[in-house]
Amino acid sequence: MVLIQAVIDGILVGTTYALIGIGFTLIFGVMHKLNLAFAAASIAGAFVSLIAWQHFQAMPVPVIFAVAAVAAGALGYVIYLTCFRFIPLKSPLATLMATVGMLIFLEEVVTHISDGKAQNFPGMVPDERWILGPIDLRVDYVLVFAISLIAMLLLLAVLYRTRLGIATRAVAQQPVAAQLCGISLDRTNAATFVMSGVLGGLAGAMIGSSAELLSNLLPLQLTVKGLIVTVIGGLGSIPGAIVAGLLVGAVEKGVETWNVLARDLCVMLLVFVFLVVKPAGIFGKLNVRD
Amino acid sequence: MKKSALFLGAAAIALAGFGTAPATAQERTIKIAGFGAKTGPVRSFGVNSEAAMVAAAEEINKKGGIKLADGTMAKVVVTFDDDRCQAEDGINIVRRLASGDTLIAVGPTCSNVAEPLFGILQKKVGDDKDSGLRFPIFTDVAVKGGLAKISEWAFRNTPNEPLLYDALFKYLREKQPGLKTIMGGKEGDFAHSKAGWDLVMKVAAPKYGFEVVGEVEWKLTDTTFTTQVRELKAKNPDVIAIAAHPFTLCGVVKEMSRQGVKPKLIIGLTSSSSMETMEGCARQVEGAIIPTTFAPVNDEAKRVAALIAKHKGSADLHSTAAWENMMILKEVIEKAGITGKPETLAADRKKVRDGLAALKETQGLLGVTKRTEDREAIKPFVFVTAKGGNWVVTYDPTKPN
Repeated sequence: MVLIQAVIDGILVGTTYALIGIGFTLIFGVMHKLNLAFAAASIAGAFVSLIAWQHFQAMPVPVIFAVAAVAAGALGYVIYLTCFRFIPLKSPLATLMATVGMLIFLEEVVTHISDGKAQNFPGMVPDERWILGPIDLRVDYVLVFAISLIAMLLLLAVLYRTRLGIATRAVAQQPVAAQLCGISLDRTNAATFVMSGVLGGLAGAMIGSSAELLSNLLPLQLTVKGLIVTVIGGLGSIPGAIVAGLLVGAVEKGVETWNVLARDLCVMLLVFVFLVVKPAGIFGKLNVRD
Repeated sequence: MKKSALFLGAAAIALAGFGTAPATAQERTIKIAGFGAKTGPVRSFGVNSEAAMVAAAEEINKKGGIKLADGTMAKVVVTFDDDRCQAEDGINIVRRLASGDTLIAVGPTCSNVAEPLFGILQKKVGDDKDSGLRFPIFTDVAVKGGLAKISEWAFRNTPNEPLLYDALFKYLREKQPGLKTIMGGKEGDFAHSKAGWDLVMKVAAPKYGFEVVGEVEWKLTDTTFTTQVRELKAKNPDVIAIAAHPFTLCGVVKEMSRQGVKPKLIIGLTSSSSMETMEGCARQVEGAIIPTTFAPVNDEAKRVAALIAKHKGSADLHSTAAWENMMILKEVIEKAGITGKPETLAADRKKVRDGLAALKETQGLLGVTKRTEDREAIKPFVFVTAKGGNWVVTYDPTKPN
């Protein structure tokens, strides 16, 4: 029962990993580039919302989440401008290194803002629990799961039901043909960064809210988690990122019941297994772009 | 007119130069280097230590500095390096300091840095076959027990946790005889935290009749603790001892609050008796008790706390140890009769080492600290309890009842 309970907790929390993974995968899908500053921007967005909350304590949690999402979206656009827009995309390492630099920069900014200490972050429904027989659910985890699910559905709706989504998918599949059809690569790429930033900011705020603490150590941890989720799910695959996020969350919490110190080891082992057995990830395809 | 003005200006600058140059050349300095974690989860310890060292140096320099063997007064210069709580960084910093003109180093923050670092120092003084560094280190923060015995160049002014927790459990047995069972929680990947439970609390508690019913662990940077707290809840102990630093301590007590885990008493690790804990989780930690070697209980302690605060640091058991170290070093340097000249640097370091080794007791902010044969400290202590967002002294052994 302890294991089942832990796995349920892991799946609920895993949705935030999924959101982070989606952010990585969305950008990779469209530009075929990794944005390593994505998780740092997500946490930086959450820190912006924290500052807002510190100034306006009466601010309700949904507004705090919205501020985080908007701030991280704006940061996503800044990252696009500074690390991609004016950097030669033909050089595979140039954008990667630029985003590494941005990751370090954002991490430092967050460290200075927080004075290197974990900061109190408002909880959604502190101390609320649902007891379903032997299962004890934290209500905020359930809310995290629900909000993440809604965010993912909205993203899919944008991608499959709007002109922006069509443009994004067109650029992801055939950038030259998309351009010939009059789609602006620059605008579409920028919109992708903003969209992924909004998701990341939401995830960052929910992570802070469920821990009731926001730490300057999160950017690096989440970057690693996001990359793991992206690799396991398959680079460029949104459904893959969702499933992989839940899987990583469940494995982490499950292993914790056995040995906390073996947790990260087991997750890395999982990545290794996928790289050997299914290198394209759960839903990814090798050479998806012709 | 223009030419004469230029000439006058040049002359004034030249005269000013002549006036100050000899004084600058004669001014001698004593370099004391601090090092510790200024990044990562225990960053606040390094920040606080630096503030305390700078405040102490300011106070020493205001009173004229340190008197050298020839009667010259030398100013104290403090530097502080960030070792990120990483052993390799700490070792690199100390190797660099030892090859420069630093007399002695104060640090590090983390026991996992101190342990390998002390290993690169010469083990026994005078052993010419040992090529280890001959450079004195006077630790202010790294607490894990018995580390100074690794090298005769290593000294510590850190709490003796086995004694502190022994006294705490004895006190609890007398004052709260109804407490029977205890469960521990620790940061499994952090030396001080792990040793704080495994080698200190878990050993001391049964001596006073507490039954250890289990233990849980997590990592230093973890943010979710649902699984661990569920285990604590299932065992329902009277006492939960959390051998963790403020960041995860707050995460755990918040999760305990969510899951409705209400032990009769929470015991904390010495390092958590800081304002960082209060800023993070004052409500959830209310009533927790911690033994500590610093609390602002007298005028001098209050004055020093204010001076450290002026330098944007917080006075706690670790940062005030850094202050004490600076004051102890001033006395030792003056007594040892060092010259503070580059050509005698190696001899000066040896004299400081010998001076520290000869100490039998030192004056601390809470009273007299006894020095042991293996270069450790036995510091006076108090028990503090979290009350209304502050740490309040609930027991002072020098003032029974």
